[in-house]
Amino acid sequence: MLAQNFRANPNRRYIEFGGKGGLGKTTFSAATAYWLAQQGYKVLVFSVDPQASLSDIFERDIFGKGPVEIIPNLFAQEIDADQRIKAYQDEIRYKILDMYGMDTVPEEIEHYIQAAAAEPAMEESAIFDAVVDIVVGGDYDYYIYDLVPLGHALYYLSMASIYNEWIEKITKLREEMQEYAQVAAILERKKQTEEDQILAELQYIRQRISTSSGILTDRERTAFFFVVTPEDMIIRDTVKAAALFAKYQVPICGYIVNRVIPPELAQQNIPEYLRNRIAMQERYLKQIDATFGKDVLACVPEFERDITGIEMIAKVAQALYGGEA
Amino acid sequence: MTEEEKQESAFSRFGRSFKELLYGMAGHDMTRYALKTRGSMEHLFILITMGDLLGVPILPPYYSLRLLPYVVPQISTWKRRMLRERDLTDALA
Repeated sequence: MLAQNFRANPNRRYIEFGGKGGLGKTTFSAATAYWLAQQGYKVLVFSVDPQASLSDIFERDIFGKGPVEIIPNLFAQEIDADQRIKAYQDEIRYKILDMYGMDTVPEEIEHYIQAAAAEPAMEESAIFDAVVDIVVGGDYDYYIYDLVPLGHALYYLSMASIYNEWIEKITKLREEMQEYAQVAAILERKKQTEEDQILAELQYIRQRISTSSGILTDRERTAFFFVVTPEDMIIRDTVKAAALFAKYQVPICGYIVNRVIPPELAQQNIPEYLRNRIAMQERYLKQIDATFGKDVLACVPEFERDITGIEMIAKVAQALYGGEA
Repeated sequence: MTEEEKQESAFSRFGRSFKELLYGMAGHDMTRYALKTRGSMEHLFILITMGDLLGVPILPPYYSLRLLPYVVPQISTWKRRMLRERDLTDALA
């Protein structure tokens, strides 16, 4: 089912896995990247999660090291927000020194630069900006975005629309200011005023924001899969989240059920405890079927051990996409 | 310098003075007004984008930092203007 979904929509090159924390988003991101890389596509799987789960699953420290080739065609990247903020501050300092020919940044300005970095929203927007860099880069056939838990993902998308409106407002103000300057210039018979650099900067910021949120909500180019597990609370939360996501025009393509205890175990001699778990899951699997129906694209069993290393990732890919490459 | 050239330069001098006189009568005030309005707007703009300098955070800091280099020269005058006492002469300027 899931493999068919990929083949039927060859233009969808941005793949996202969403859902609550701990359900297996990173596992599926890695497995999907592996499956696509095996078919000869150049794939980047990336995450903005400070917990560095991609490093764990690939058993390599890739945090803040840019795109790292794990196996041929499969690249993984973990964004280090702090590192990015520091580099960005230096860039701003350098620009100020360069523009005004100063040796040191004035105290007040320096203070501002440091204070700005300490704000909580700073990390969020630095990450957002890093993601923009990645998705507009266009160096890969497929981009797999291992999303942070639900709330964050929604926050990104809502942030994009708020930023967009806000910047539109101040851009208007700036344009009006330019008109006044031009009136003065014409009356004084000066040449046209030089292009307003701030205005150009604002337009650049706006374009970046709308590009990235545009890609992430573009039904043609993006596939978003929800991860669920057969548990009452997870099912309820997913229904709520799906409604919210729909509001932000996130193109939900389907659901993947994870952590299903293999029902054939019930034929064997197993403890009562496990038998009850299987019965409970069966009930919730029916509920999932009733709720999401044909949108359930794959069921992945609970594995006998942690998913780490390429060998286990290949097993998950097999469970997700079947033997067909 | 020939008579002709002298005459021409007197002409163009006159023309230039006349233009300036006309500008002074009609245009100067408008120009000043336009520039003054732009100046006020400039400060409004800095307040909106760099407001956190006064403790009024508005624009996400990541992006306001991008604008910081352009407003460095204005920041000191802007803070002065924001914190200044107002009096009657403001209305006359």
